[in-house]
Amino acid sequence: MLTPLITTARESLRYRGSGHVLWLLHRVTGLGVVIFLGTHIFGMSMATFNPPLHEAMLAVYKTPLFSLGEIVLAACLIFHAVNGTRIAILELRPALWDKQEVATRWSVIITLILLAPTIAIMAFKSISYYATHGLR
Amino acid sequence: MRAFPILGAAFSIPMKINLKIKRFNPETDKKPHWETYTVEVEPTDRVLDALHEIKWNQDGTLALRRSCAHGVCGSDAMRINGRNMLACKVLIQNIAKDGDTVTVEPILGLPVIKDLIVDMEPFFAHYRAVMPYLVNNDPLPENGRERLQSPADRERYDDTTKCILCAACTTSCPSFWARGEYVGPAAIVQAHRFIFDSRDQAAQQRLEILSAQDGVWRCRTVFNCTEACPRGIQVTKAIGEVKEALRTGIIQ
Repeated sequence: MLTPLITTARESLRYRGSGHVLWLLHRVTGLGVVIFLGTHIFGMSMATFNPPLHEAMLAVYKTPLFSLGEIVLAACLIFHAVNGTRIAILELRPALWDKQEVATRWSVIITLILLAPTIAIMAFKSISYYATHGLR
Repeated sequence: MRAFPILGAAFSIPMKINLKIKRFNPETDKKPHWETYTVEVEPTDRVLDALHEIKWNQDGTLALRRSCAHGVCGSDAMRINGRNMLACKVLIQNIAKDGDTVTVEPILGLPVIKDLIVDMEPFFAHYRAVMPYLVNNDPLPENGRERLQSPADRERYDDTTKCILCAACTTSCPSFWARGEYVGPAAIVQAHRFIFDSRDQAAQQRLEILSAQDGVWRCRTVFNCTEACPRGIQVTKAIGEVKEALRTGIIQ
């Protein structure tokens, strides 16, 4: 059970191919978003079941490490959405198979176009927050 | 020489490359290990020629499988520089320069018997599972000759008739690495070849097999299979068409 898992993980990193790299990123970003979602649902439910813990978690979120994490999360979400759209289109329209390589490039380009202002806005907001509230 | 490819071939300058090969001897080794050989080759030699040079002149214990050696039989699929290809179809000048190292390892996802030879049986079992033969229970045509088909009907599945069962596609598929029970791209290509054949009558049975847990839906549209296919078969497209047939219930 575990051996194929380890082999798959290791060899997935060693295999070469244009779609392969995006598939890997898709998996990793998907996993990241799911982990965030679990934490988020847990944190929010604590507002009802354990308010002090909820407050403590909110305080932890307002630290530079988690601000950076938020930006990474946004990057994961944007890439996963854009690349997921590419996969869905290619899967629903098999005749477009020869556009695959172009599509992988566009996936990356569109992700970067959407990501640049997102990072700028988020970073600006975080920095101005820490400028007025100070680091804890 | 680049501007004169014919001259280039005539005066091709021999070069030295290192071949880093993943070796495994079941009688002595617990785990595979890498061994590097230096060989002198012509740029227009194929990776298979370099492997021959090692096997015939440097280290006779190297085990590899090849039959026709000209890209037809599909025996020598291996992972070269991280991608699946046929060792007999890839020229060294296209993957390496003088002094470069080329990695060669067995295809992934099938049990390694020795060095570059893998056990193809699980692969063939998936092949057999999709009924890779024409099913037609109607009586033969009156004149006793073949069942006729229009050129357009023949064209419909032409691409998937090219498969040589080398397993380069199936063993490039992350879904197959993770779960060997997945039928894999090659078996789906074979199923596609008969599902879309106007003379065949077992399309529904094949679609049922492929809609099972380990059928087409394990495909994640990674496109590794399409890139790996030495015959240029549009594998992901074929899989997509089978998915489409399952989704819509229409075989067209």
